[in-house]
Amino acid sequence: MLKRPEFITRVLLVLTVIGLPALILGYQFVLRPHLNSTRTIEISASTPENGGFQPASFTVEAGETLTLRFTSMDVTHGVAIGPGLGIDLGSIDPGHIKEVTLTFDHAGTYTFYCNTWCSINHWRMRGVIEVRDSLNPNAFPANQVDPVIAALAADGVDIDATTHNGSMNMDTTAMLPGRPSALRGAAIAVNLVIPTELQDQAWRRSHTPMQGIALLLSYNANASQTDLADAVAYLWVVEGSAETRTTTAQFYAQNCASCHGETGGGDGFMAAQTTETPVAFSDPNYLFGMRGDVLYAKIRRGGMGTDMPNFGTLITPEETWALVDYLWTLSLETDERTTGEG
Amino acid sequence: MTTVPRADTQHRPSPLNTVLKSRLFQPTLQLIALFGFTLAILTGFFGTPAGSRNFGIVFVWIVWWALLIIVLVPFFGRAWCTVCPIPAPGEWLQRRGIVQRTPGKLRTLGKRFPKRLKNMWLQNFGFLTIATFSAIILTRPNISAGVLLGFIVVAVALSILYDNRVFCRYVCPVGGFIGLYAMMSPLELRVRDCQTCREHGAKDCVVGNEKGYGCPWMVYPGNLTRNTYCGLCFECMKTCPKDNITLRLRPFGSDLFVAKERRLDEAYKAFIMLGCALVYSTVLLGHWGWIKNWANMDSLPHWLIYAVGLWVFNLALIPGLFWVTTWMGRKITRANVPQRDLFVSFAYTLVPLGLAAWIAFSLGFVFVNGSYAISVISDPFGWGWNLFGTANAAWTPFAPQLLNFLQVGILMIGLMVAVNTAYRIARQHHSVHQQAFAAMLPIAGLLTLITGTFLWLYLG
Repeated sequence: MLKRPEFITRVLLVLTVIGLPALILGYQFVLRPHLNSTRTIEISASTPENGGFQPASFTVEAGETLTLRFTSMDVTHGVAIGPGLGIDLGSIDPGHIKEVTLTFDHAGTYTFYCNTWCSINHWRMRGVIEVRDSLNPNAFPANQVDPVIAALAADGVDIDATTHNGSMNMDTTAMLPGRPSALRGAAIAVNLVIPTELQDQAWRRSHTPMQGIALLLSYNANASQTDLADAVAYLWVVEGSAETRTTTAQFYAQNCASCHGETGGGDGFMAAQTTETPVAFSDPNYLFGMRGDVLYAKIRRGGMGTDMPNFGTLITPEETWALVDYLWTLSLETDERTTGEG
Repeated sequence: MTTVPRADTQHRPSPLNTVLKSRLFQPTLQLIALFGFTLAILTGFFGTPAGSRNFGIVFVWIVWWALLIIVLVPFFGRAWCTVCPIPAPGEWLQRRGIVQRTPGKLRTLGKRFPKRLKNMWLQNFGFLTIATFSAIILTRPNISAGVLLGFIVVAVALSILYDNRVFCRYVCPVGGFIGLYAMMSPLELRVRDCQTCREHGAKDCVVGNEKGYGCPWMVYPGNLTRNTYCGLCFECMKTCPKDNITLRLRPFGSDLFVAKERRLDEAYKAFIMLGCALVYSTVLLGHWGWIKNWANMDSLPHWLIYAVGLWVFNLALIPGLFWVTTWMGRKITRANVPQRDLFVSFAYTLVPLGLAAWIAFSLGFVFVNGSYAISVISDPFGWGWNLFGTANAAWTPFAPQLLNFLQVGILMIGLMVAVNTAYRIARQHHSVHQQAFAAMLPIAGLLTLITGTFLWLYLG
């Protein structure tokens, strides 16, 4: 017959060694999921060299409410989820946790990605969420062909070319006299004849600003090259709300600036590490030779033979156009760059 | 041997005496510790992999470690061994009981532990092995939990094979350095009167009686002159029919001057502990990210270089430097003392300096990372719990402006005590003051150089 102290300590021992694990694990993995309708997925974030996101992919059902909990394991990471969800959890310091609860309405593929520069392979730090239709789990939406990229391919446009001025009869070696100013252009444009093509967004997106200047010159023979460049700058950036530009500027700062530079000078802190020198959007002679749809395609598809990653899985086509619109502002006079005011 | 004053903490009968003699005393503490230990293992295996949000990492390697090295060891010696849950299950199996004094022999296979391993060498190599992987063990909860669980498995296995606490005495890598630094503690368990022990033939403290077990640490209290191998289990206090065992207060570091028990394995423990403090300070607190990456196994070749470097530094470079300084002292004084004896004796000067270095190093990360404990206590697994409402407490370094002052102060105290120890040990070999002073000078130089290196690491 055990004496009372011995009996009590043995009971305490059993409770500690068996009861405690059973209680905690039972609550967390059995009882808690029953009490809580929201499924929680724990995702650890490490630099790509150390495994990136773990798990890097998972499947959920459309309509299912889900909590994603991100923990940074090594350095400060940032987590955003796209395309089109507008979820940006901000930076997550090592050991810290951030979570988001969301419901995917439709089947499709979404990407969670790091948007804070974390390592030389930062851009590889992505994960995939496959959302399936619970009523028809085998029917998964096929990847849709991007009509803009398809049209460029059909027209034989080389997305990776460094200039696209050649399709119009113009001097492709012409240099702009200085940085264009959309602010000045707004005042100048009211005194110029603006052809209908330049008022058409679709035309502007499929032509370079230099082609716009050439076209404007044919209607306004007495205007100076500077005035024409300013007017075209105004026409190229006039659309889009200030709010969108602010959001887009933040996206650029988080995802593009490390290579292309904060002000688009092609001088980001990772520029020296890339296979090819990143292009300088702040150089109007480069940017005014580019077509908007080509920039759009490069952003969504990525750069062939360069270290430019694809962003088509992260942002929507609308967000991509907003980014293209923002890029134009980087070539303008310094005080017009960041906000894109024009 | 110099006699130093002692103050008996136990007046017969006293409340402390009653508590220490209670059979419930140690098991109660062990069960509480076992609760924390179980939680640490559970959080390690099932909790968040982020170390700073995991109870197993924060409470073992920050809270427990700080408590151990800053408070328990310097002031209470082997007090942690009283509480430690690791050997408890094995010991309870041997005894077939937790609290009760089960009659008869311990239940083991009765194997004899190899004589050649009855020293600190296993603990030395065990600690170095842990240190080699420490950058990973200290930061990855699952690996940390695996190591803790491994300790308990080994302890149980050894308690099945051998009588008593073979794991604690000869294997535990933590117990080794606690024993070494317990020599600094102002608290000691000793017999009141050695003559009483000599005249008492039954030796209940060794063989046990109905009130308690024979010393599980395989120590004869009647001969106890140092804290190194007494695990403060207080079994001898329970079994002594003469009430001749007591806890006493004494000056810090008294055991360092017990000349007859100095050994090479203990000397190497002192080298390894000091060397590891230097390496840890460099890797974890230094400005060289590449060393941290190497220790973190960024690649196998890098880690192998780090591992080999660590072992060579601790087993060859530091002892080699020490050998040279003791040789210089011997040459200066033309002493007729074997070089090996001087080498081993003077190695004990590294005990106060090593302990000071570990305290200074530990303050560095406790002050910086201690606040993680506030959030982790509410969410030990990192599962989003908030048990005490502190789960979202922000990481806040504690008094960063004070840290360097404390580190410098502690290191300087460590250096002064070490130099004083060197002189007093020198006087044990040289009766003349001038000779002892001369013999101590090269060692004092090395101690100063080492302290300067620590200061450079912390302040540079």
